[in-house]
Amino acid sequence: MNEFEFGYRVRQALNEGADRLPYRVLARLEQARRAALARQKAALDRPLWVPALRFAAEGGGLLDLDEPSAAWLWARRLGLAVPIVALTVGFVGIYQWRQDQAIAEHANMDLAVLLDDTPIDTYADKGFGVMIRNEQGI
Amino acid sequence: MATREELADFLASAERRAYKQALFAVRDENNALDVVQDAMLKLAEHYSDRPAQELPLLFTRILQNSIHDFFRRQKVRSTWVTLLSAFSGNPDSDEDPLETLEAAEGTEAAESAADQAERAQIIAMIEQEIAKLPPRQRQAFLLRYWEDMDVAETAATMGCSEGSVKTHCSRATHALAQALLARGITL
Repeated sequence: MNEFEFGYRVRQALNEGADRLPYRVLARLEQARRAALARQKAALDRPLWVPALRFAAEGGGLLDLDEPSAAWLWARRLGLAVPIVALTVGFVGIYQWRQDQAIAEHANMDLAVLLDDTPIDTYADKGFGVMIRNEQGI
Repeated sequence: MATREELADFLASAERRAYKQALFAVRDENNALDVVQDAMLKLAEHYSDRPAQELPLLFTRILQNSIHDFFRRQKVRSTWVTLLSAFSGNPDSDEDPLETLEAAEGTEAAESAADQAERAQIIAMIEQEIAKLPPRQRQAFLLRYWEDMDVAETAATMGCSEGSVKTHCSRATHALAQALLARGITL
């Protein structure tokens, strides 16, 4: 007997076994089937969700609910792109501003050192020495 | 799109086989019924807009996923029980549900087999031996020979290659034939 023949005979036995299920199991299965069919009805009766922007894009007229309009697709893409662009611009702006701040601070400090306006305690400060060395790349 | 009547007819035709498959896997009547109900609800709720001819394959996949979900939930529950029992000093609850398959009690059919005729006894023994097969082998065997799927459909449902399906089916067939022969049953 080959594999297929064996499988066929087992299948016969399994079908016979499935036909002999006890009543309580059959009742539960019927109950489950009814619940599923009720759920199908609920799914069919549920109102379709339509994004508000879609009405705005198409002037609130009669809409084809199956196909999203080009305007709505563009609005969705823009909705993703705008925050990303804004975030990138924001980061670049903050970086530039910090760079300008740092340059202005260093210029003030250099000027103070050159004009001997720096308090004498400054030269004793370890942090100041480290900063000068870092600037000179030592 | 499947009509209400088509869905009802399909569920009525598939429910017994679905229950048996779930029972082979989870080894408990109530859990098997829960799994089948879960699969039916998912099919009706999410796939009722599909054509009627797609329902059998969809339902089979949903059922297999529901069985996997059941074992996943069992494993999570078992993990929590293990964690909590560590505080109470009870060491024997850290078992994997998959490992308990062999040790579990017999099916509903097996319980009633003693009181039935010889044919019913043979069927019960066949079902017992199918239940003893390793899960993947049993799944492949049932999908191929009971659900009448071809190799490609079985592979897609099981998420493995077609070669694996053939291997699982071949091993399941040989193991089943030997087990039945050992119990004096020839098909």
